[in-house]
Amino acid sequence: MFCTHCGSRIPEAANFCVSCGARVAATPVPLSDPPIDPRYITPTGAQSLDPAPTPAEPSVSAAPPAPARSNAIATCRWCGAVSDGFRESCSKCGAALDVPEDTADSGWIEVPGRKDMTKIQLGNSSCQIEGTFVPVADINLAAGDSIYFTHHVLLWKEPRVTVTTMPMAGAWKRVFAGLPLVMTQAAGPGHIAFSKDDPGELLPVPLQPGEEIDVREHLFLVATSSITYDWFPTNVWLQSQQDNETETHYPIGMFMDRFTAPQDPGLLLLHAAGNVFVRNLAPGETILIKPTALVFKDPAVEMHLHFERPGTTFFGWGNWANRYLWLRMIGPGRVAIQSVFEPVEGEARNLSSCSYATEQRW
Amino acid sequence: MANPQSPTSDSFDRIVCQWCQGMNPKGALACQACGAPLDIRNLVSESGWREAPRIRDMTEIHFGSSTCQVEGEIVPVAEINLGQGDSIFFEHHVMLWKDEQVPLGVMQLSGGLQRAFGGMPFLITMAGGPGRIAFSRDATGELVLLPLHPGMELDVREHAFLLASHHISYSFVRVNGLVNILFGGQGMYMDRFVTGNEPGLLILHGYGNVFERRLAAGETIMVEPGAFLYKDSTVTMEVEFQRLGTGLFGGTNMALARMTGPGRIGIQSMYVHHHTE
Repeated sequence: MFCTHCGSRIPEAANFCVSCGARVAATPVPLSDPPIDPRYITPTGAQSLDPAPTPAEPSVSAAPPAPARSNAIATCRWCGAVSDGFRESCSKCGAALDVPEDTADSGWIEVPGRKDMTKIQLGNSSCQIEGTFVPVADINLAAGDSIYFTHHVLLWKEPRVTVTTMPMAGAWKRVFAGLPLVMTQAAGPGHIAFSKDDPGELLPVPLQPGEEIDVREHLFLVATSSITYDWFPTNVWLQSQQDNETETHYPIGMFMDRFTAPQDPGLLLLHAAGNVFVRNLAPGETILIKPTALVFKDPAVEMHLHFERPGTTFFGWGNWANRYLWLRMIGPGRVAIQSVFEPVEGEARNLSSCSYATEQRW
Repeated sequence: MANPQSPTSDSFDRIVCQWCQGMNPKGALACQACGAPLDIRNLVSESGWREAPRIRDMTEIHFGSSTCQVEGEIVPVAEINLGQGDSIFFEHHVMLWKDEQVPLGVMQLSGGLQRAFGGMPFLITMAGGPGRIAFSRDATGELVLLPLHPGMELDVREHAFLLASHHISYSFVRVNGLVNILFGGQGMYMDRFVTGNEPGLLILHGYGNVFERRLAAGETIMVEPGAFLYKDSTVTMEVEFQRLGTGLFGGTNMALARMTGPGRIGIQSMYVHHHTE
């Protein structure tokens, strides 16, 4: 293992670092949270400070309780996971628990800040998120655990971690313009780390059994192998016409990725550009978003194109460039957007047809 | 392993910087040699990577008779106040602004060797004191301040260095082997910085976040070649292919650099893409 103070390699059983002399805790408190001790949570979810009289595990009882934290249960606002009230970060998604919620007056929630070096528990494996501009997901895979990841995201790995191509059988049928979509699988034990070459947020999305999420394509980074992957056509497209040429554009891509946790909980890591905001739409509630800003949505949220024409007295209806193209999201469910987005191809050109769309003329 | 010593203070009331091992007076909040904050703990991941210290805005550090102030956080600027007799050298396209009277000259590279990039001659420019001159690079990232102790040898990815003080001698080494050149993600040359009897200051710019780890003798780690930033010259680097067969389409290759200790290695989290097929 390594000294968490100076980084020197030290013997596994050492109590002190031989290089800098720092005490090496069995479980370094701020960097690695022990798994949730179930004794702190009563079946009803009520607060209980005193653990039930069960034989104490030495590592847990040795950990000093954080002072002045009155509630024994903290619910993560980002993923809803219940943690004991002593930890600073959610053990399922790494969101900071001890900061006030950042909700804009409009209802968008800023994805909670994550402390540098936050650790997320994934069964026997764990994931540590390091850095701030271009964060790195450093995964410690236990023996028998595996993950899969997309192209060009592997940053480094220990030589003992085996990397293979995911079998094409089953869900892996997606082909882009003649190119196979290659997913790569890594199996433990060992460390392996991922990053994407864009400043932005690394977005941990924990999926509970039975939960599903729809993600815009090319935002996926890594998932645990308990999560299955599927895709569906977005049915959001527009055709532009110039002279004799007709071109079809897909503002949010031809396909959307759907990730499901059928039986076991799993963790999905996405990379979004800039900052990420999420809101929960009530049934029937709508919001207009820039199509290329979409990050993910709950499967229950429906979406279609929406055109908006500002009122004008000088130009007639013929000016095609004088309109806005939106993606209209209809609840119930969550919608997440990123603050950095690309222009929509073909937006300002003459449209010959498009998928189902609504229109607003002012 | 280094000899056991107190991490924070000894009987002479000094603070040893954990990033560069520089000595600082008691009560210092940032290291005088590299700018690393001294009052916050290191960020070391469980796998042993240490995050490069996040230098506080406006931190000032000293080298020779000059100072360097690090300004900004997203794309930081290194502002140098050169003392009389001190000089620094740097590559093209990194100067942000300068005082009018600071003289510029071209460094004579040993043997008159000039490596050429796409028909452009490769030039190292020198600036001499006294006066102020400031540098930055065109992307989100971190400034990595590496004070080099006497007798150190450091290999740096091509075009990653921002500036170095004149106490450091500069050369470049050819990357050996066609595979390393084509798939190493960094071209034909690596910059090599060597200190003689005097310490010097080297400032690099890493894209994204920068992490460092110390490899024991014989210890290996596989790194995305585009993420490599710097290494001690004792660390060897060999690009290897990981064959990924898909069964249907003939498969694809993934190039990874095998780094073998002993020594330090630094990586950046936003890396340069390269083609593997």
